[in-house]
Amino acid sequence: MNNNIRALRAERGWSQAHLADQLAVSRQTVNAIETGRYDPSLPLAFAIARLFALRIEDIFSA
Amino acid sequence: MHHAAEPRYSAAERRKQWQYLRELGASIAIYIALLVPSLMYGPALTDSLLRTAVLTCPMLGFFLMIWAIARQVQRMDEYQRRLTLESLSLAAAITAAITFTYGFLENAGYPRLSMFVVWGIMGSAWGVAGVLRCWAAKR
Repeated sequence: MNNNIRALRAERGWSQAHLADQLAVSRQTVNAIETGRYDPSLPLAFAIARLFALRIEDIFSA
Repeated sequence: MHHAAEPRYSAAERRKQWQYLRELGASIAIYIALLVPSLMYGPALTDSLLRTAVLTCPMLGFFLMIWAIARQVQRMDEYQRRLTLESLSLAAAITAAITFTYGFLENAGYPRLSMFVVWGIMGSAWGVAGVLRCWAAKR
């Protein structure tokens, strides 16, 4: 699964650590999601979408 | 860009790690504090319930270590739990393979080893599994 979290984060000037703190996950997890090594659970995907004020399908694509 | 100056851990992660180190450190300190008198006085006691209690009392610190580890697992996020599960599964399988192999050799007359060896093997296997996982992640 692909995602555009890195671009969304960059638009807001957030570091991975800052995003990790807001999502209550580790920076390692944010990095794994951004690089496509890990697909987040549905609750975490919803949390990401809520944080960026977007729909899940605007962030993740198959 | 933030990438170059990206910190390795977020603030919340550092707090969690520090909490874990404090809890684990305290339980290890209790274990050692009980281990020393247990080793000094336990073996000299006559066979009794008291002797068994003195020899096994360091395990109270060990139970606190288990509690500290359980709390740390609760603090982990979903990805960290998955990584830990992968590493530990591999480590358990490697340990089973080694201990079973040596068990067969013991049946054939090889020297009997202490059960203390098992954790050494498991810890080493965990390290190997972690290295293999890091290597696979970078490919």
